[in-house]
Amino acid sequence: MSSLISFLIAFPLLIGTLLLFTWWPKVRNLIVVASCVAVAAVSIATVIQFGNGNGVFFGLPGGVEPGAALIVSEIAMTAFVVAISIYNRRFFAPVLALIQLGIALYLELAGKLPEADPQRLFWFDRLSMVMVLVVGIIGPLICINAIGYMRDYHRSSPMVKGRRNVFFSLLFIFLAGMFGLVASNYLPMMLVFWEVTTLCSFLLIGYSRTDETIGYAFRALNMNLIGGVGFSVAIALLAEQPNGLDLAMLTSGPVSGVLLLAVALLALAGITKSAQMPFSSWLLGAMYAPSPTSALLHSSTMVKAGVFLLLRLSPAMAGSSVGYLVAFVGLLTFLFVSLVAGTEENLKKVLAYSTIGSLGLIGGCAGIGTPELVWAGVMIIIFHAMAKGLLFLTVGTLENRLYTKNIENFDALLSLMPRVSVLMLVGIAGMFIAPFGIVIAKWAAIRAFLAVPGIAGAALVTIMAFGSSLTIFYWGKLLIKIMSARRQSDYERSIERRISWYEWLSEAPLAIGVIAATLLIGPLSDNVVGPWATAAFSAAPRTFLTMDPAALLIMMAAVVFLPAVAYWSWRHPNYDHADFYASGRSTNNAHVMGMALGGIHRVSLRGYYLSGVLDGTLVFNAGTLACAATLLAMVTAGVVAR
Amino acid sequence: MTLAFYALLFVIVAPVFGGLLAGADRIVTARMQSRVGPPLLQPFYDVGKLFQKQSRLLNPIQEPLLLGHVVMMAATGAMMVSGTDLILVTFVFALASLLLVLAAGSAYSPYSFAGAERELIVLLASEPFFILMMAAICKVTDASTFGAVLASPTWVAFQLPGILIAFLMVATIKLRKSPFDISTSHHAHQELVSGLTSDMSGRLLAYVELAHWYESALLCGFAVLLFNWSIPLGIGAFLVAYAAEVLVDNVTSRAKWQLVLRSTWVATLLFAGGNVLALFVVGR
Repeated sequence: MSSLISFLIAFPLLIGTLLLFTWWPKVRNLIVVASCVAVAAVSIATVIQFGNGNGVFFGLPGGVEPGAALIVSEIAMTAFVVAISIYNRRFFAPVLALIQLGIALYLELAGKLPEADPQRLFWFDRLSMVMVLVVGIIGPLICINAIGYMRDYHRSSPMVKGRRNVFFSLLFIFLAGMFGLVASNYLPMMLVFWEVTTLCSFLLIGYSRTDETIGYAFRALNMNLIGGVGFSVAIALLAEQPNGLDLAMLTSGPVSGVLLLAVALLALAGITKSAQMPFSSWLLGAMYAPSPTSALLHSSTMVKAGVFLLLRLSPAMAGSSVGYLVAFVGLLTFLFVSLVAGTEENLKKVLAYSTIGSLGLIGGCAGIGTPELVWAGVMIIIFHAMAKGLLFLTVGTLENRLYTKNIENFDALLSLMPRVSVLMLVGIAGMFIAPFGIVIAKWAAIRAFLAVPGIAGAALVTIMAFGSSLTIFYWGKLLIKIMSARRQSDYERSIERRISWYEWLSEAPLAIGVIAATLLIGPLSDNVVGPWATAAFSAAPRTFLTMDPAALLIMMAAVVFLPAVAYWSWRHPNYDHADFYASGRSTNNAHVMGMALGGIHRVSLRGYYLSGVLDGTLVFNAGTLACAATLLAMVTAGVVAR
Repeated sequence: MTLAFYALLFVIVAPVFGGLLAGADRIVTARMQSRVGPPLLQPFYDVGKLFQKQSRLLNPIQEPLLLGHVVMMAATGAMMVSGTDLILVTFVFALASLLLVLAAGSAYSPYSFAGAERELIVLLASEPFFILMMAAICKVTDASTFGAVLASPTWVAFQLPGILIAFLMVATIKLRKSPFDISTSHHAHQELVSGLTSDMSGRLLAYVELAHWYESALLCGFAVLLFNWSIPLGIGAFLVAYAAEVLVDNVTSRAKWQLVLRSTWVATLLFAGGNVLALFVVGR
């Protein structure tokens, strides 16, 4: 175990450094593909060696102690943040970074940091296993996709200076950080990996170096550093507690006193990283980065690190006021961003809101903290990672072909780009129709919230009722657009043929993965997620997938149904394409309509948006305010508990 | 075994019930407008005729989507009576309705598309209520399936007055009655022509009708859940409510979609949400 995990951290780091100095595209592509295969293979090997058992603890190979390496990497990262911020004349980030470094240095120099047990640096259990698979398989697929995407990206954006060596280097360093993060048990070490992911996402968001993206990059940096400061303060508090810095021991059961305050601060870090309100805007800004960046941030890395930490903390905060407030932040976020998503025309933004909403649901599950709820939370992580990764990659492909991200421009996508449409339909079905994804979590969450007494329970159930209905609305709108059809010209039919193999070979496996995971949901629940949830809460073993088999079967069929009928209709030989009804006007099957005084007009249909009934910006700000207040209450609850 | 029998029973009886209800609806509506109206069995004749007619397809995907719509509607009811978790039933119900939206929207013609978008709006308007209703029913009876709710000694309707009021409002949407029939119309001269069915013909239209019959029967099942101590009383209450809907349909005109969404959500939040809040605070 020890050597495999160390490899998963060190190897991508090494490749990242190598790629930084690889300027020849062909060599770079070769290195990227080969390393992706290696990372995926070693991830699987790690899981096989772990053997799906109970949690194990281990250190670095040969019992090496991290020693000064942690503080040295913190100093290096802080120096980097300070330098790049001053270069760009931003002064909030360096302050936060220096505060963090100050706390670390104080603990180190004053000798407050207790000796780490060299055999308990890493903690690998079923949750880590799931995360390693998510990071180690979906991550490399996104890297491979990026080869094709970035080539087209630089063709269509000649203003952006090509720094693809930096881009691919960052992708791999990001993966290294994630592997370290999900396997860490010793909190100061986890913090280092935590900051690695923060820095990588900052640099990836600012890749194109326009004023706009630099602004968004710094917003992401600032918000994540706020979480980092929370993490550091938590470490300072925990350093004085016996075994406080050992994550497994900290989260073995409900905590109180100073420990609860520390848990609240760690939860704050998790909330910033998973972009829940009031910190949602950094992830929305990240939309302006190249699409593989979004895919990586949304599916396998970054935000998943945030909810991973919340799920880890769940047994510690369950039942406390802190836990309730974390749940409210999550579910209010879910409700508000779902409302805003109904007003949004930019598909990437809709996807971003949907991500934030799903993360909010996971946060809600983790905050209340019952075995059933964390089970649902892990299920969402798995399926969201695959489905959302697939969606962002396909949207990236569309963006480079159609030069638009606006939902209204995706008319008749099924007849324009049938293969991409089918892949997208798998992703969408995976997001909200499938028995996994959101539906099962919504169901499990409502069931569990019914048992929460008092006003809190009623509020949670009501939020769920409204929030989950909204998801149907914004996905349904997109589905209509994708599934419509019209006769295409020869030029239009040729568009899809120009998509690179790198893109097909990364998107198709994800789509197959979504379907395979749907069919395997039973074994997945019984052997992996279920045992983890009971172990985390030291609860009695039980069956989690208590859903009626008939219901399960119908929902599984529904996932395959939409892509399957779409595929069928595209291959349909006798495609009649009757003319549509337009009050007697002459029409034809390319959606052209004769006008009253002669001339023709191509029909363009616009969907309904919730902007007709509410103001998206206002709702977003209201949500930010409400969640900020809840968050403040959460930290206060921690302070009071102390 | 008995559960499978109930499922089969629903699949067979529900369309008969729904079709007769539609026939009675047309007679009552005609009498309110001083007309005689068609025979009671007219809806069955209509659907039979539609199956014999030629269908024009704007998009071949419409047919499987509509078939899926009928099957899912029937499955929703069958699952409900055969013991599937009630909250899950509402999710499958929404999925079934969504397939109709997709079938209409994928035609991508002006009237069908407007109808589909509006249907999506009414789906959004009604869905929170159904989730809240099922949650409340599960909460008061401490049960999670149709059979268990019927067997519960608690008289559900007496504890859920707010849900009953909101049910009347939301049922208007699902039964496609004015003022909430924004997505369809039975009269081709109106602003929407015939909404989401504008470009459907032949057996496509027959599927829509058939699914609607299942939907009416499903709603009747929801009413039975609320009047859980007596099945005939539940059906009776549903028929009374339906008669009231027909009256409202005849005396009101179609509302704008913004108004439909706002008013339904406000009613859901006030009556259903308030009812749920009371349940949680008073406790059981």
